[in-house]
Amino acid sequence: MTPTTEERRRQFEAEALPHLDAVFRYAHTLTGDPTRAEDLTQETMLKALRAWHQFERGSNARAWLLTILRNTFINEYRRRQHQGETVDLSAIEPYHVFDEVQDVDPEGRFFASIVDDEVLRAVRALPEEFREVLLLSDVEGFPYADIAKLLDVPIGTVKSRLFRARQALQQRLYDYAVEMGYIKRRAS
Amino acid sequence: MSESRHSLECREAIERLYEYLDRELTPEVREEVERHLRMCGDCVKHFEFERAFLRFLEARARGRGAGPDVKRRILRELFGGDQ
Repeated sequence: MTPTTEERRRQFEAEALPHLDAVFRYAHTLTGDPTRAEDLTQETMLKALRAWHQFERGSNARAWLLTILRNTFINEYRRRQHQGETVDLSAIEPYHVFDEVQDVDPEGRFFASIVDDEVLRAVRALPEEFREVLLLSDVEGFPYADIAKLLDVPIGTVKSRLFRARQALQQRLYDYAVEMGYIKRRAS
Repeated sequence: MSESRHSLECREAIERLYEYLDRELTPEVREEVERHLRMCGDCVKHFEFERAFLRFLEARARGRGAGPDVKRRILRELFGGDQ
């Protein structure tokens, strides 16, 4: 039986709308721009509402919405995409920050001194594919398998991107904290 | 034989560090990592540092959600002008 418009709306409100913030965050991560993120969010939600009959009730609505968003982004927005800037990921030395701080601040208390804007700036400086995996894992809390499915890449790729994204971000935040005097660089 | 920071076991534990913290390991491998951690204070320290970093990210890398204006606009687009 086809649900009535009213039913469809109720379902959509109950199951899809609670994820509006997650949709917006992902849109912002991909576009790097709040205005374009709003447009992409709106377009995603409209598409989702139109396609609501295809949503498998009881499955993960957030993952479904983010998949629609990602496809929309790739098809319509990517040409104008925000390029992550200048982080040279090949220069990242694994676990360098822990090596630096393990004697003076092994609990990483210096992270707490960093203001929100700076954290977000550091995230935005990552290349797109690293930003998105970081958001999906570390903010949204998706398991590797779900992220792999969403991004249509092997799980190994998710792991390696996540590793490099975390290490790159950690390094950048550490450099910032040193610059601001929140922590002293280890004497070499 | 005492554990040095760069023993094979340490390297293997560190290789699985994020998968461990992300709860992505099978119970068997998880147990292996934990067995190592019970013997190796250096690795515990490193695991705890990375765990603190991930908690920090979860709390602070979130960014803002859609603001109330955006939500209103989208609801209007979705369901018409009665929002």
